[in-house]
Amino acid sequence: MLISYQWLRDFVKLPDSMKPEEIAEKLKLSTVEVEGVESLGAQLENIVVGKILKCDKHPGADKLKVCEVDIGGERATIVCGGSNVVEGMLVAVAKIGARVKWHGEGELVTLERATIRGVESSGMICGADEIGLGAMFPKKDEKEVLDLTTVLSLKERKPGLPLSEALKLNDAIFEIDNKSLSNRPDLWGHYGMAREVAALTNRKVDAYKVKPIKPGKEGIKVEVENPELCARYMAVAVGNVSIGHSPAWMQQRLSAVGLRPINSVVDITNYVMLELGQPLHAFDGKVLEQEGKYSVGVRSSVSGEKFISLDEKERSLPEGTLVITSGDRPVAIAGVMGGLDSGVRISTSTVVFEAANFNPASIRKASGLLGLRTDASARFEKGLDPGLCKVALERAVELLLEVSPEAKVTTKIADVVAVVGQSRIFEVEAEFFSRQIGVKIQKKTIVDILERLGFSVKLDKNLFVITAPSWRVRDIDCPEALVEEVLRIYGYQNIPGSLPGFSILPPLENKLLEIQKRLSDTLVREIACTEVYNYSFVSPESVANLGDDISKYLELDNPISKGQPFLRRHLLSNLLENIKNNINNYSDLKLFEVGKKFLPESSGLRARNNKDELLPREVNWLTAVFASKKKNLFDEARAAAEAIFRELNLEFKLVAPKKIAPWLHPSRSGDIMVGGEYVGSVFELHPRTLKNFNLDCAVAAVGLNLDKLSALPARGKKFEPLPQFPTVERDLAFVAGKDVANAGIVAFITEQSGLLRGVELFDVYEGANLLPGKKSVAYRLTFYHEGHTLTAEEIIGVMEKIKKSLVDKWGVEFR
Amino acid sequence: MPSDIQKFESDALGAIAGAKDKSELEGVENKLLGRKQGEFTSLMKGISELTAEEKKAAGARLNELKNKLTEAIGQKRVGFESAAWDQIAEAEKVDLTAPSLPLKKFGHFHPNTLVQRDLENLFTSMGFAVLDGPEIESDYYNFTALNIPETHPARDLQDTFYVKNPNPNDQTPSRLVMRTHTSPMQIRAMQKYGAPLRVVIPGKCYRNEATDVRHEHTFYQFEGLVVDERINFSPLKGVLEIVARHLYGEKTEVRLRPKYYPFVEPGVNGEVTCFNCGGKGCRLCKNSGWLEIFGAGMVHPSVLLEGGIDSKKYTGFAFGFGLTRLVMLKYGIDDVRLLESGNMKFLEQF
Repeated sequence: MLISYQWLRDFVKLPDSMKPEEIAEKLKLSTVEVEGVESLGAQLENIVVGKILKCDKHPGADKLKVCEVDIGGERATIVCGGSNVVEGMLVAVAKIGARVKWHGEGELVTLERATIRGVESSGMICGADEIGLGAMFPKKDEKEVLDLTTVLSLKERKPGLPLSEALKLNDAIFEIDNKSLSNRPDLWGHYGMAREVAALTNRKVDAYKVKPIKPGKEGIKVEVENPELCARYMAVAVGNVSIGHSPAWMQQRLSAVGLRPINSVVDITNYVMLELGQPLHAFDGKVLEQEGKYSVGVRSSVSGEKFISLDEKERSLPEGTLVITSGDRPVAIAGVMGGLDSGVRISTSTVVFEAANFNPASIRKASGLLGLRTDASARFEKGLDPGLCKVALERAVELLLEVSPEAKVTTKIADVVAVVGQSRIFEVEAEFFSRQIGVKIQKKTIVDILERLGFSVKLDKNLFVITAPSWRVRDIDCPEALVEEVLRIYGYQNIPGSLPGFSILPPLENKLLEIQKRLSDTLVREIACTEVYNYSFVSPESVANLGDDISKYLELDNPISKGQPFLRRHLLSNLLENIKNNINNYSDLKLFEVGKKFLPESSGLRARNNKDELLPREVNWLTAVFASKKKNLFDEARAAAEAIFRELNLEFKLVAPKKIAPWLHPSRSGDIMVGGEYVGSVFELHPRTLKNFNLDCAVAAVGLNLDKLSALPARGKKFEPLPQFPTVERDLAFVAGKDVANAGIVAFITEQSGLLRGVELFDVYEGANLLPGKKSVAYRLTFYHEGHTLTAEEIIGVMEKIKKSLVDKWGVEFR
Repeated sequence: MPSDIQKFESDALGAIAGAKDKSELEGVENKLLGRKQGEFTSLMKGISELTAEEKKAAGARLNELKNKLTEAIGQKRVGFESAAWDQIAEAEKVDLTAPSLPLKKFGHFHPNTLVQRDLENLFTSMGFAVLDGPEIESDYYNFTALNIPETHPARDLQDTFYVKNPNPNDQTPSRLVMRTHTSPMQIRAMQKYGAPLRVVIPGKCYRNEATDVRHEHTFYQFEGLVVDERINFSPLKGVLEIVARHLYGEKTEVRLRPKYYPFVEPGVNGEVTCFNCGGKGCRLCKNSGWLEIFGAGMVHPSVLLEGGIDSKKYTGFAFGFGLTRLVMLKYGIDDVRLLESGNMKFLEQF
């Protein structure tokens, strides 16, 4: 929202010595977010009002004109390409030395005398965007110059008058972030903002002066079917109105805060809205006439109702939308937008003003469902003070009678009130403020601040009785809100920070985060993996590429793009995309991600306290991927799993997966089991999946369920006495069938002798020099006796026995 | 005799000095001082022919000479040995300017993890527990319980991703949303643990907005909540000052300004002295001297109520940092989209 500094000064006396920036700073520190302060007319030096006395065709160019311009006591010859220049027009003339922006683009340049196609031109007739007034006076045509003829009031139509003076551009415009106003309906107009500025500068805001309406005799009927949605509806008709341009001062004010002047009546409704924050609507009286009488209804729309709004769009009204009717026919969407055929036009002679108060939730809903956000709906949905209707209506009538002096109020004032005169009273202990703030603040200061903000305060012994003003009833909804009022005016900077006197209690442990950290540390520091953060969303293509069933995925109702509407069930697919995006620059990649996957088929936390409904299950998961163009990668993934379980001091087993998911390599995948429980898997990607993802490298992965790992009992280390006698190591290498599994061999060898303390595979070889289906393996055997030093004979005996047993069992061959 | 000694001495010293290497020196040593045939030994033998008085003088002289020769040989030997070490050292010389080979590959933490852990450590050191929460939330926890009812304009402040209900047959299903902030965990934590409470919640959040250099639909927050007796605005400011100084140095100041969040009252946004310009104003802080990095406030009484906390006895404060923003500020990252790009050229810088 844009706020004009000079408009604020209509209501609060700010000395000339005060800079707009000071006020903006105060607002920023205590009230709202001021995003910028723009001085209008800052770049209008050497630009004056000019009057075109003569306008001839340029002898050497079809599209140019040569103008004689009165620029105040002197005449200037100016070559101009403006499409709309005519004799008698008042224009903005940039004199030599002025700074302008050619065609509204690029940097400001200083104007010099120039000869254009043989004609000397001393100055320039400017388009609005060439002198920084584009927002105030939007162009209808690219080549149009700024026509000041109707914009200026009589006494300003003076050639030579500096433009900034003529347009009263001594103003500064505050750009205020609407979001920072969302809880302050009272600040959506200049008067409310002035009231706030007065409080901030310890001044008094002027009472809002407006003449009461002198009602006419005719009746005007208002019927409100849903008083719960319409707290107040006021209407009055003004007849014999002639509609034209609004006065220059009004146009300038509207333009300064970014609203395009339209006609006197529309401008008045906008002006009052910007001044008081109360949106108004003006109907063409003819449309509301029923049997010779003005009649307005307020009701909820019924199913299937259609309506053509002011913006010339036909809209299907969602059932229950509040509408304004005439003879049951909708003529406006209440609080959002008027109808195309019920609005005021040049031919209108009777205007019916509406000043109403609609239920904020209902307006918000309607505006949301219609996708139609207007200046009016933005204000109504914040919840306005019903008391505003009356002053706003009075102000509108007052302005209309001023602009159109022959006009006359013809009807009584309709005023259907369901709620008015709200107030909110709080009884608060005097100590409450200091207790909430942590600093002792004098009662007198509290009273002063609250009174400045329009609250009435009575101090009854040790009890404050505080009444919120009607315009603050909505946002001051609890005593704590009063604390904020005191604090923000007292100044946050005046509250010293202090250290809380917490009791010394060690924080609860979070095992999940602990596990996450340890695993990430291991992967980064030991395995040299790089951590990535991916979106939780996946595309249908990537689900299809995995070969997964899309019907098992949760789906967003309103995805940002059609690209990623599903919630991941695996971290894998986005990691595969990461590999694809990086592999051209890296010979191999090691990436991992820690995150949640979403499983709608199982249940998670409660959706509401004390109710049975449960959220979809979220599983905390870690996936690490290893990609390389060269290697057999299964072992790399397995090594990562080993490092992780070494860190956790847990033993794990890899077993053939119970179910082979489509993306798993059928013979290079294993489930990670810890004590019989599945906690994750190590696998290579199926070559088909890699092809689907357009990857021409091998990829292996480790996936771990962090919820399960963090629930496992921690296993500590235990000291074992050091050996008293030397251990003896012997290596055993042999060729066995490829399908003889390592675990079986280790278990079998271990059974053969009570002296064995360790059997460890240290080499495997398959390939050349071996028959197909064979592998060569080598084990390191460690022997130990706790009573004596083992002799060579003892070892030889045992080794022979082991060898023989291996031959008997599997027919292995020793090398 | 003395003249013999004189000559012997100068010859012997000459021979020692002239030895070219360790073995030649050994030869000279043997020749001079050898126990059986050494020249010195013969000289010693010559003493026996002298008178007792002469013996005494010559004995002393010879002893002195022997020490002198031994020392000279010793020195020469040390010289040879150290030259040998020098040679070895020279041969084993390394290139100090070369990196260790083969080049080892290192892993990298995501920058968000680094900043998050730093804050987690700071807060756990002050007795805060670190909590984790669901990323799909019910409408109730994400909004309603936080004092944001269905029709509240504040819902417009956050563009929300809605999730289709997986069980369309549910009678009264909650609307599911991707959490728009970590604040729902305030309610969950209060309901689960009650008061007193001291927790932080780092986490992934989602808002339905188009991405560009400064906007990302997926981002991270770092939420904090304290509920205790005698908690008020001043310690809120105190704790935030600790964080600000931890992040940006001892001289950093905190500036609070009113800001509306439905779940706190009073609500503030928090700015810290711009670390880039020290508050003078620069491009980073848009010439304001301040960087906005958090929102905070006293927990709204109706939020305490939803959390099952007795608001007569307990009060609380809450704060939330834009973790993603902290990361970008810390490392000077100018495009938020890099964080979730999975781009190795980006990630390997951390």
